Amino acid sequence: MEPKNVMVIGGGIAGMTAAWELAESNISVQLIEKSGFLGGHAIQYTCKATSECLNCGACAVEKMLKNVMGKDNIGIHLSSQIEKITQNGSYTATIKKSPVFIDDKKCTNCGICYEKLKDTGVIVRGHSKNNVPLYAICEEKLADHGDALKDVCPEGAISVSETASHTDLTADAVIVATGFEPFDPDIKATYGYSIHPNVISGLDLERIKRQNGSLIRPSDGKAPKKIAFIQCVGSRDERLGNLWCSQVCCPYALRTAESIKYKDPDLDITIFYMDIQNTGNTFPAFYESCKNNLRFIRSIPVDIFPAENGNLLLRLFDETDGTPKKESFDMVVLSIGIMPNPENRNLSTLLEISLDEDGFFKNLHELNQTSTLNNGVFIAGTAHGPKSISASIAHAGQAVSGVRKYLGGAI
Amino acid sequence: MTTEQQAIEMEAITMATDIIVIGGGYSALYAASQISKNGYNVILARQADGQGNDQNDHFATLGIPTSELDKLTALENDVADNDKIEILPQSTLVDAAGIPGDFTVKFSSKGQLIEKKAGAIVAATDFTTTRLNQIYGLKRCSNVLSLSEFENLLTSDDQRKEIQNKNTTIAFLVGFAHEGNPLLMKRVLTSVSDIAEMDGCTAYVYVNDIKVADDGLERLYKQGRDKGAIYFKLSNSPIINQNNDDLTITYYDPVIRKDIELSPDIVVVEESLMANPDNFSLAEILKIDMDTAGFLQMENIHRLPVDTNREGIFVVGPSREILNLSRAWTDIDNMTLRVKQLIGDGNKTVAKNKAVVDREKCTICLTCYRCCPHGAIYWDDKAIISPVACQGCGICASECPMDAIQIGDFTDTQIGARIKETADAKTEDRPKIIAFCCQNSAFEAGQMAEAFNYDLPKGLQMIKVPCAGKVDINYVLNALVEGADGVLVMACHHGNCKSESGNTYAKWRVNDAYRMLEEVGIDKNRLEFATLASNMASDFARIVIDMEKRISQKES
Repeated sequence: MEPKNVMVIGGGIAGMTAAWELAESNISVQLIEKSGFLGGHAIQYTCKATSECLNCGACAVEKMLKNVMGKDNIGIHLSSQIEKITQNGSYTATIKKSPVFIDDKKCTNCGICYEKLKDTGVIVRGHSKNNVPLYAICEEKLADHGDALKDVCPEGAISVSETASHTDLTADAVIVATGFEPFDPDIKATYGYSIHPNVISGLDLERIKRQNGSLIRPSDGKAPKKIAFIQCVGSRDERLGNLWCSQVCCPYALRTAESIKYKDPDLDITIFYMDIQNTGNTFPAFYESCKNNLRFIRSIPVDIFPAENGNLLLRLFDETDGTPKKESFDMVVLSIGIMPNPENRNLSTLLEISLDEDGFFKNLHELNQTSTLNNGVFIAGTAHGPKSISASIAHAGQAVSGVRKYLGGAI
Repeated sequence: MTTEQQAIEMEAITMATDIIVIGGGYSALYAASQISKNGYNVILARQADGQGNDQNDHFATLGIPTSELDKLTALENDVADNDKIEILPQSTLVDAAGIPGDFTVKFSSKGQLIEKKAGAIVAATDFTTTRLNQIYGLKRCSNVLSLSEFENLLTSDDQRKEIQNKNTTIAFLVGFAHEGNPLLMKRVLTSVSDIAEMDGCTAYVYVNDIKVADDGLERLYKQGRDKGAIYFKLSNSPIINQNNDDLTITYYDPVIRKDIELSPDIVVVEESLMANPDNFSLAEILKIDMDTAGFLQMENIHRLPVDTNREGIFVVGPSREILNLSRAWTDIDNMTLRVKQLIGDGNKTVAKNKAVVDREKCTICLTCYRCCPHGAIYWDDKAIISPVACQGCGICASECPMDAIQIGDFTDTQIGARIKETADAKTEDRPKIIAFCCQNSAFEAGQMAEAFNYDLPKGLQMIKVPCAGKVDINYVLNALVEGADGVLVMACHHGNCKSESGNTYAKWRVNDAYRMLEEVGIDKNRLEFATLASNMASDFARIVIDMEKRISQKES
């Protein structure tokens, strides 16, 4: 078989897995990532272990990132986006690389830029030490703080030019692994996500835990004593037209709640839910343990009001006894759902593949969830619909097997 | 690193290229077909006779569009006509010995003992269904049906007509007898939607948690309601009275504060989807893990879902989890990739030094054989470790009472040198702390803590080990003898060890070491066992800083 070359669009867990599996099969890979870091959303997640591993999969992402960084035949293109694709038996993509980036060949990970410009937010640090470079430039902050970047790097690794550079890459097949968009909690305005500092999203919770090693309230830096998790924020919402379950939020909330409760047994945690979704084969036993440690109320709160000391008042209708209730918490976590990436539409046009009615990429065959209308294009991970980390890994493996079949020589 | 990297000697080995697939449903057929397409011969060991799909249940293909159903028929034909696939009918696995690339497997097939050689083994059993009417206190009769019975009824045109002509009211009971799962829920939602569409018929669903965590189920749920199906979401089962053919279902509605009573014509009772009872003996014979629910393989984040604790033995589809056909197909495509990577064209080169047994020292006590979580060890007149099956964890090396086993780049000499080197390092009067760190978790976390500029103790030195199970009790004691003020053994969380039990062995050894320290009067605070994940940089920092504080307090 002639040496083959495959383009993987998106460097989250699905894209990284696809890249690595292809490389393991001696296929060279061009991995295109829009942001300055590989790892996607999942690399931000924290370990949910109590006295034992709860199989959240966060460490698998860490490992896959390390695998990909150490692999010879994977070309990594950070801060890069697809502008155009032409098809002629193979796929030629024009890649636009942002004019603002940190050159991985020059950067020594010294962290001087990050330390010096910490207050501006114009330099961001990766979530993993396996991110190379470990730092990136936050483009939204460029207008205000761009000048500060000019001489900050002793190695001259920071590039801030006016014009983007373009490169053409040719590939024999394409894997689309562009991931998801977290639900914007401001759309559910009655929760006051942007108004009340102690109303946070699940993703915010992960970031706080990563930075501090434990959970603290954004308003005063104190450890919360009474926390509410609200499930299905953005998912299973007829009014928003979001007719899908995000599949990961119940496992996420339950594991997170168990893990923080394990570290602080006095913590009082309530889960507000519609229907609890399973975590796997051993879910019944796990759920029993959760019921011992956490309070479950089958009701989704209507709105959130501010109370004293940054506390929050939840208003809800309790379905079990049919009465309206109010209850105060000192922190509220919104389990925000998995939404289709808004860029899917453009990419679907470029690649001549279709989207489903929800805006995720649609599989052509029911029995091959990675297949598309375009024979040489495959979908992997949450670009196709909500998936856990392990389901994304498996889906990416299937996409690779599809690519190998397409390129000939069976798998 | 001061230890010299030796040039790794490689050896060429031959792998058998026949692959065994165990199971008879669509998953097993697809697995056999895919493997054969990659040029391997397949031995398909199935319980039933015949060549088609074993699983007669209608729901196996639920939700699969007609166009794809044709593919399943084509699959059955392909397996039947494929001269690369040998079918062993009416067969049961009796014995399996050997290592990846060289398994010897025995089946009882039609009363005969058949022996096969294989490079890899794939378990592709199906789940089974169990009736739950007894849990609801319901006797089975013409108007109390299991979900499968009702689904079969809906496939018959005559019986559909009868349901429709009688303006039937049908009640479904779901989620009170067990937790349930999305696949079961999909079957319920599909039947409900079907009924709701029939003029004059009404579907009432008494349900606990609606398990919609799979593609398309929330939409299916809404479709049913839009067509008129009525859902009562309750936390406990309603009260059901069965008096001959009369059925009444009552529950108290807290919102309108009164009892709601219904007399349905038919009650459909949920089923439970259970692991195949054959899994138990498969797990035992193949020496692979089984979870508490009877599915093959325990969740282990370090492995792909289709990999087991043993290299060369794979589990796919409903043998490992309640999965629909699409997800089973995902598994099988992954498995085929793994088989291809493992077996290749049958010629493989492997590192000679992965785990080396000193045949002079080995007394064939078989401690290594018993403790190896990967089934990588067998013996002639001495223990032999398969370089293909071995994962290099080193549990055996540390358990061997004769110190007869050495692991790749982690030999006792190399680690001893590292201990000496780290103990001799200058630490500017700060306590010397030696941390033995599993390369899969704590070592990564430690490196991340360094990269993120955590204020780590100046006297901290990490020693990388392939698995905490490689941390010999002698390493711990040596580190203290060589001058360490504190020793940490840092492993993966329970249930997260890549080698299953490496962290457990490490913990036992630390506990043994505590007893020894106590006997000689050394402060126990100088030794600690901790568990971490690779992404826990801040926890790593906290643990090592705490240890430094404790030691400093004692000394001052």
